[in-house]
Amino acid sequence: MSRSRPGRIASGAGRIRAWLERNAIRLTALVTAGILAVMLYLPVGVVFVEAVVDEGVPTLGHFAAVLTDPFYFGVLADVFADPLAVGTHLGSLAGWLAAVSISLSLEYPIPGIDVPVPWLAVDTPGVRQGLFGFTAYQAALSTLASVALGLPAAYILANYEFYGRRTLRSLTILPFVLPGIMVAVGFYAMFGRAGTLNGILGVAGLGPFAFIETSPLTIVILAHAFYNAPLVARLTVAAWESVDTRTVETARSLGASERRAFRDIVVPQLAPAVLTGALLTFIFTFMTFPIVLALGGLQLATVEVWIYDRIQRLDYAEAATLAILETILSLGLTYAYLRYESVQSGFSQAPSPPPKEALFPDLRTALSPRRLAICGYGLVALVLFVGPMASLVVGSFTDGTGFTLRNYAFLLERQLEGASFQTLPLPAIRNSLLFGVATLAVAVPMGVVISVLTARTGRSGTIIDTLAMLPLAVSGIVFGIGLLQGLVFGISLPGGWRLQITGAVAIVIAHAVAAYPFVTRNVSPLLSNLDPAMVESARALGASRFRALVDVELPLVANGIVAGAAFAFAISIGEFSSTVILASGSESYTMPVAVERYLGRRSGPAIAMGTLLLLVTAASFVVIDRVGGRYEL
Amino acid sequence: MRRRTFLGAVSGGATLGLAGCLTQDGDDDENGNGNGSGNGNGSGSEETDDNTLTVVTYESMIDGENPAGPWLKEAFEDEHPDAEIEWEQLPSQGINQYIDSASQDRDIEPDVYLGLNIDDLVRVDDNLEDGGLFRELDRDQIERSDRVRDGLDMGDPHDRVLPYDTGYISLVYDESEIDEPETFDDLTASEYEDALLAQNAQTSDPGQAFLLWTIDAFGEDGYLDYWEELAENGVRTLEDWTESYYGAYMEAERPMVVSYSTDQVFASAEGNDLTRHQIAFPNDQGYANPEGMAIFEDASNVGLAYDFFDFVLSNEPQAEIAQRNVQFPAVEDEYVDLDDDFDQYAHVPPEAVTVGYDDLRGNLDEWVDDWAQQMAGH
Repeated sequence: MSRSRPGRIASGAGRIRAWLERNAIRLTALVTAGILAVMLYLPVGVVFVEAVVDEGVPTLGHFAAVLTDPFYFGVLADVFADPLAVGTHLGSLAGWLAAVSISLSLEYPIPGIDVPVPWLAVDTPGVRQGLFGFTAYQAALSTLASVALGLPAAYILANYEFYGRRTLRSLTILPFVLPGIMVAVGFYAMFGRAGTLNGILGVAGLGPFAFIETSPLTIVILAHAFYNAPLVARLTVAAWESVDTRTVETARSLGASERRAFRDIVVPQLAPAVLTGALLTFIFTFMTFPIVLALGGLQLATVEVWIYDRIQRLDYAEAATLAILETILSLGLTYAYLRYESVQSGFSQAPSPPPKEALFPDLRTALSPRRLAICGYGLVALVLFVGPMASLVVGSFTDGTGFTLRNYAFLLERQLEGASFQTLPLPAIRNSLLFGVATLAVAVPMGVVISVLTARTGRSGTIIDTLAMLPLAVSGIVFGIGLLQGLVFGISLPGGWRLQITGAVAIVIAHAVAAYPFVTRNVSPLLSNLDPAMVESARALGASRFRALVDVELPLVANGIVAGAAFAFAISIGEFSSTVILASGSESYTMPVAVERYLGRRSGPAIAMGTLLLLVTAASFVVIDRVGGRYEL
Repeated sequence: MRRRTFLGAVSGGATLGLAGCLTQDGDDDENGNGNGSGNGNGSGSEETDDNTLTVVTYESMIDGENPAGPWLKEAFEDEHPDAEIEWEQLPSQGINQYIDSASQDRDIEPDVYLGLNIDDLVRVDDNLEDGGLFRELDRDQIERSDRVRDGLDMGDPHDRVLPYDTGYISLVYDESEIDEPETFDDLTASEYEDALLAQNAQTSDPGQAFLLWTIDAFGEDGYLDYWEELAENGVRTLEDWTESYYGAYMEAERPMVVSYSTDQVFASAEGNDLTRHQIAFPNDQGYANPEGMAIFEDASNVGLAYDFFDFVLSNEPQAEIAQRNVQFPAVEDEYVDLDDDFDQYAHVPPEAVTVGYDDLRGNLDEWVDDWAQQMAGH
């Protein structure tokens, strides 16, 4: 008797474990769906409904008004106003084409240097782009710049070995966590007329150059690249390190040239990651807000600026209408891309990344054109990525008289003597780290389960995958207002019940909702690249779907999971707009919230807090990558 | 198959997720007040409530460097040993959060709002009923209310707000690069081409104040033409004061910025050379931006609020608020003693202008939007 009891318990526990294992994926999916329903669809729905319901009556009037307003849609507004007048529209298109002229001239594009460059100018008669047109235009340019600046970094990090490579790879996404105001101040401190770069050039007797004044649009695009090129790079490195090079060797042994093997074997394995990076960059920069206004001004305003303005003026209907149009555009692009990604299924069996060459093995190699190009890129990266951050750090230690520690003295004094109604630095750091780790723990399973459920499932999977990308495709301002109206104020339910969610748990879940798409987008391309036969054979040998996932697939896509986890952490650390709403009136404030609250007539205290944010985050990234690195191949 | 699983999961998960965070309204009324608002002592809390004044205010009043809020709390509690001030951080949506709360009949917790501008009152009245959200002040209960300087009246027909300090928007320029602009028309002259940094009136208080100043100068039929000329002369309108001042101006991007007439107080404290911190008052004017305090309609502690208002207008608090906030006192000079340094570096314009409640009412949103659409010019 006494012997059989533990046995029965053991077998009972075993049965529960077996049941859990059979249903693990389904359960995770259930929880994921529940979280999304409450923390995403509900708050967003609360605001979006304002666009289509006017005093209880469904209406499309707000859409009609926005779509036919030339301020928003430029020349397209006429088309939307009278879509059937095809003849008229073709007529005006022909008139426009007839007025295009092309000219060739010599220009001197580099300030201060007399190098003539033949310049092909296409002179088009002005077309009114409208707010949406301009927003898309600057987003497209920002995407090009981000890909152009991100790919070389990915190439170097994935193919060369050098001292500090892993640390550098961990730090690539550091720009991601900086609050917009810090990026703006950092860019002015680096590229301003009295900034760091002009200071350095001044030593060589050059300048000062008006980098920002000469072309604010260029600076805005570079600031967007500052945020997003690291995103492209990190996604691409994860894919590059998962490339199955044995296929390259096979191709080479069959007589393909190195170039041919790269083009036919490696590029198709990288393309999904690069395109994912481009897609995300386009969506983010389409919905950009503080950067354009801070560096470019109102002349470069985007749709998001008007959404902010309409919310401020309590015109929720127009704000929601604009936000829905943004979301439709973003989700449309996402769907188009995901259709492409889902047909890219490969037959990769295991990552066998390319062997890494030493970057500078000897002097002769160091002077080869390829190595010199790498040095050139390193210089650009130093100026564009390190420059603004380093200038911020320097700024936190200076005032009108030179070196000072007073900004840090402020932080210390606040920590030691601050009152309960004030914001203290250490709790902000502690909260940020706690929320970051908790977000990572929630977002990674959410993201992976969506990848698993949607990979290789054809059109229906693509639709679910697209809808699951909603957190990226919704205006941050609208999401914040939705959280406030829906969850902080509470929603009345039938029977006198009320649903209300705030505080630390709400912050973590809101962060996880914003972060899991990054996990999915890092993991999905690698997952669909795997040979499905491997899972099928594991299943045929009796493994549950969960076992097959954990033992076969996940180890093979570990690079993507680690990259996704790092992003999830970064999103949580950097998130501001919903955190500030959910933390209102509590002690759950985070580092970016503290930066904002310390911002007064003197910027020093806020910049010192921003520097702490940078240091704490940098240290965390290195730790995450080191811990995660154990699981990588 | 998988799709069906997923859809099933959506509905199932929704119920799971909801379960944890539901409260019933009945519960909320009986227990919620006791637990939720943090006093937790049942009926005993009513008494302590009488002596606590909850004041909501903006960040720099309590959280920046050397803020006035903690000083006010300590000094007021010294004077009224039974009373307690409880500061509350202004929610990120500012006055809008309270407008939304009032229109949806939700409780508003704080008693007093410190930091109210005229346009906030206009926003209240445009969205709620006239004279809503705050109560009409009983001036008899605020002895010192007649100390307030002429010209700071915020023009509220319902008399809900009392100013406690004011700032003047002016131009700050670098005298080594440009001469002092004397009129608004000077700013459109070639001498000042690509010289001026301003702020977006949609996203910035000083930006909106500068726009209203030009509306005061050129009228609502003329201001857009004036801004057209400013735009042709290369004005740049950045997001907010920090970006334009610490970002662009202090990195020498341009020689002139829309800022405050107390600029030199900061500049001298920072150890900066004052050549880049000269104050210009175009048309011999500055735009006054008085900040006021008001009592919420449902305040539980009106008597204490009046005591607090009277205290704020007394001599020492007026000096402390002015110097810590780097604004000007709201009372006449004879009722406040400021440090000599402050007097030396804080400049008062020869004439203070402001667009009052009556003119803003029903116009402000349209003025700003017409301007912003013209400036964006996409």
